[in-house]
Amino acid sequence: MNKYAFYTGCVSKGACPELYQSTVAVAKKIGVELVEMLDVGCNGAGVLTTEISDPINARTLAKAEQMGLPIMTICSTCQGVIGAARLRLMNEQYRTAINERFLREEGLEYKGTTVVKHFLWILVEEVGVELLEGLVTNPLTDVGVSPFYGCYMRRPDDVIEQGGRKRYLEQIITGMGATNVDISGKGKCCGFPIAAADETNSLAMAAKHTGEAKDKGADAMVVPCPLCHLNLDGQQERAAASTKKELGIPIFHLPQLIGLALGIDPQELGIQRNMVSLTPVLRKLGMVKQPA
Amino acid sequence: MDVTFKVRRHDPRTGGKPSQQEYSVDLAPGATVFDALVQIREEQDGSLGFRGNCGRGFCGDCVVRMNGKLTLSCLTPVDKTVKDGVIAVEPAPYARQTKDLMYDDQTFLWDKYRAMKPWLVSDGAPAKPVTEEAMANVRTMMRCTMCGLCDFGCTVIDVDQGFMGPAALTKAYRFMIDPRDTATKERLTMAGEPKGMWDCVHCWEASEHCPVGIDPTHRIMDMRDLSVRHGIRSGKQNPKVARHYDSFAKSVKESGWLDEFKITMDTEGIMGSLRLAPVALKALTRGKVAVIHPKRSGAEHIKRIFEKVEAEFKAGQK
Ligand code: SF4
Ligand code: FES
Repeated sequence: MNKYAFYTGCVSKGACPELYQSTVAVAKKIGVELVEMLDVGCNGAGVLTTEISDPINARTLAKAEQMGLPIMTICSTCQGVIGAARLRLMNEQYRTAINERFLREEGLEYKGTTVVKHFLWILVEEVGVELLEGLVTNPLTDVGVSPFYGCYMRRPDDVIEQGGRKRYLEQIITGMGATNVDISGKGKCCGFPIAAADETNSLAMAAKHTGEAKDKGADAMVVPCPLCHLNLDGQQERAAASTKKELGIPIFHLPQLIGLALGIDPQELGIQRNMVSLTPVLRKLGMVKQPA
Repeated sequence: MDVTFKVRRHDPRTGGKPSQQEYSVDLAPGATVFDALVQIREEQDGSLGFRGNCGRGFCGDCVVRMNGKLTLSCLTPVDKTVKDGVIAVEPAPYARQTKDLMYDDQTFLWDKYRAMKPWLVSDGAPAKPVTEEAMANVRTMMRCTMCGLCDFGCTVIDVDQGFMGPAALTKAYRFMIDPRDTATKERLTMAGEPKGMWDCVHCWEASEHCPVGIDPTHRIMDMRDLSVRHGIRSGKQNPKVARHYDSFAKSVKESGWLDEFKITMDTEGIMGSLRLAPVALKALTRGKVAVIHPKRSGAEHIKRIFEKVEAEFKAGQK
């Protein structure tokens, strides 16, 4: 059985509780055991200076090392930021300095061995798409889904490690019986990081990508990142208003899409919490009665 | 090697619509797309317009899109780019198109570059010797050719060409870390104004596009770190960014993690929060926002990390 130290990130415990609940539901269904890391900090999300976030992340990596487990993330940004810190901490001199300055006081030491993987990577590399396919009871037939990765699941290459990881979402989409609707913006930024600094640009990005998926005829999009979800789903109405575009495309969290195909109750996947309603997709699947 | 080039042609001065012209070329092994364009101009069509001088990746002038990929034509081998015997060549985006593959990047690139004061500023004190070590990173950054590829590939510029962009910002950073320059703080304030470094989404596209390994996205992130270290969290016209950083840092420092609700309130203020109220209300009714964040166990250790680093920053600022 696959077992992981589960780094939830802040957002799945805050503004996207449906991500947390759907992750837990899917993990249970496919036999992935999660041990939630409670005693760890926010990784800094590319906002906090690395001088502060590197020690915080070294601490997280050390805690997982102590547990003897790889870390599982459910957010592109968590993955990218902890992944980049992990790379820097491969340097022994740097690691020793961080250990001595920050971790020792707490009786901790990071030895540099922890592996950090996003849930998406675990699903494809360790659980296997074939096994997932075998568990599908409710194939998402005729549902067009556009993948959207979030920057940190595409770049930089040294943190991503394997180029093949840039095509995993498509494998999951087709594996769940849905149709992959490719969009050119799938590896671009959703706009969330500048929601405070430049809201107009942030909303323009959200509108651009959701608009592309809609124009290409997708019924929904799927994201492995709650920050992308906040901008593409949460801000979609405002993005539509600010760019005068007609949008209205539902956005799945990755485990919501999988959970639906694996026959988990949509309520348990928290789909009622999505801001853009997923009802049209459920209707297409015959899971909601057609309006009279 | 026989290759067909499908080149986009347009001369805005004479009006008319853009068209596509085909040229078949017999090329020597190892030829680049730039070589091919030169050969076309010399042997077939003297009216074809394109940019490029050195043919060696030095001048940074020859950016075009080749079978979808945007980079320097003189560093692009034909045999690695050709698909089914064809290479489609299109002009670089955003910059003002002048003719065929030629563009004028004055507004797109050079005006922003100039705005960053790309020269050494001295406070008048006698020059001190600099070490090789202190110059190492500066030297790397001096390899920048101002090809603009990082800007052409930038996700933010894609929606807003008013963004300073990675090329100019990276140039600003090159002077900030130059041990001979004495205007670091002024530069940080300038680069921290709206449309500057805090408008970057750190998507790493710029780094992927840079042909000489400057890694512009990393440099922008380094510049932000430097800014925080100096206690300058944003430019004078950009107070929202500073509020966002401070609130973010405070939340993690005090509780170990983020309180998105509080950060929005602190950053946006009452009026800004009102603007977001409809979305927030909808989110609340859907049970999306956990308003009360419990403090994490281990939060005191996170706080200790903050205090140590902040004390060091303070000492350095004196
Ligand atoms: S940083 Fe790299 S991509 Fe950007 S202008 Fe300089 S050389 Fe070109
Ligand atoms: S011709 Fe000078 S860089 Fe390509």
